[in-house]
Amino acid sequence: MKVDFKTLVTIIIAYWKIILTYRGMMLIHGIRLVLMPMVMLTAWLSIERTSANPYSDSDYLFYYMLVPVVLNLTDGRIVFKLPMAIRMGTLNRDLVKPFPAPLLFALESFANNIAQLIYLIPFTLIVFFIFHDQLPSFNPDLLIISLFFLSIVTGALARMFVNGTVALAGFWLEDITTLNLIVNGGIWALLGGMIIPVATFPERFRTIAGYLPYRYMLSFPIEMLSGQLSKAEILHGFVIATTWIAFFSIILRILWKKGLKKYTAYGG
Amino acid sequence: MHDITIIVRLWKASVIQAMEYRMSFVFAIFANFMDFIFGLLQYVVFFTAAKNVAGWDANEVLALYAVFMSIFALQFIFLYPNLVAMGEMVNTGTLDLLLTRPVSSQLVLSFRKVSFEEFGSLTTSLFLMIWLTLNGTIILSMENIFYFGVLFFCSASLTYSMFVIFLSLTVKLEKLDNMANLMWSIFSLCRYPAEIYPRWLRSIFYSIFPVAFISTAPAAALTGRLQQELIASAIIIAVISLLLSRISWKMALKAYTSAGG
Repeated sequence: MKVDFKTLVTIIIAYWKIILTYRGMMLIHGIRLVLMPMVMLTAWLSIERTSANPYSDSDYLFYYMLVPVVLNLTDGRIVFKLPMAIRMGTLNRDLVKPFPAPLLFALESFANNIAQLIYLIPFTLIVFFIFHDQLPSFNPDLLIISLFFLSIVTGALARMFVNGTVALAGFWLEDITTLNLIVNGGIWALLGGMIIPVATFPERFRTIAGYLPYRYMLSFPIEMLSGQLSKAEILHGFVIATTWIAFFSIILRILWKKGLKKYTAYGG
Repeated sequence: MHDITIIVRLWKASVIQAMEYRMSFVFAIFANFMDFIFGLLQYVVFFTAAKNVAGWDANEVLALYAVFMSIFALQFIFLYPNLVAMGEMVNTGTLDLLLTRPVSSQLVLSFRKVSFEEFGSLTTSLFLMIWLTLNGTIILSMENIFYFGVLFFCSASLTYSMFVIFLSLTVKLEKLDNMANLMWSIFSLCRYPAEIYPRWLRSIFYSIFPVAFISTAPAAALTGRLQQELIASAIIIAVISLLLSRISWKMALKAYTSAGG
């Protein structure tokens, strides 16, 4: 099935029109994206630190100031939409379109993530202007800034493929909410760096987190931008992230083919 | 009494429906148990970098987590599925069918569905409380049990009021079907002691937007940290919240124009 750039842009614009019609939903999602990082920031600013903790208050401030934007840009909402389409049978409509159905869900998620920046960029800028004198000094060069954006792309792809794999479990399970709760709520929050920045993990735990995909969905881009990673660590991170993307893209393809054979197209 | 009989019958139907997909049901309970464990691990790792948070040590924060997860699980069992279903009912017009029946619409719409999947978290929370009692973090004096009971009831009332207000907003505002997720997010404010917040925000959390009473106050009662003057405030705020939620529901129904169906 041929997919050209013009079609992609048209679909994204169509999704934006739908998203902007329901601005209340957008605002609610924006609140969700900001709330948890701010809770974590206040929690970390009120702790009595252990001697092993390398982060200062300004490091935490910088880290959680960027979390909402990175969290949003790497978010993969396919995990909510696709299982619902399978359960309700509305996937039927997407299957008869001359366009790959999984890509439609991915584009919807992408359109949502970009639209959400309407709230998140001003929020981040306001936090920056209020606390700029308390932030750590950092002078990222053009290469680091470019790699930061590249790491957001790899993080988004990794999360999209992991979430897509969870979503496709919907072909076999009636409800994947709880499975998603573990992958996105439990493991991701722990190992991705939402609750605790990965750099402050105990050594052994940090090593394990470094080999799993979750760190690359949130913590890695921020650590890179703050100048905490050496060039070797950055390269190592990109290799691991790319390996996971390749692995989950294969799993996703297999599950999609097997799932479609099982799908009974009831409802819609 | 008539409404309660109906709700009990609807619950039976929910159980029968859940049992049709036994593997999914068993898996969901296991998944929730695992979610609890990962939540617990988050605190364990948190305290490798922190000695205490706002004066609460690791075990006291675990007591707060146990209380938080108990109330969250109860909310998930009894309220969450109804909030999820509400958006669909408003958009498809099936709400009309229920409103024409001779039952209390608020009561039936609040409790008509149950989801027992969170029993995994609820049971594990109770085990965590038992362990914290055995290691001396939770002090089981008559006074603490009484204060905890009162504050836990206030916490449940506040959670229910918040749920009804969201239910009302779903009726009033079109396509606001992610209210359930917003409620979930608001719970994130209760995962750590209210003392972590700046003084001005803490005052709001103990008054206008009383999320501090959801987990911090009951956990403080269990661990002997409670300032007793908070009990009267908790009761007054819980009563006011219930009244406000009732008013918001009535206003929502007045504004409801029906979507057909």
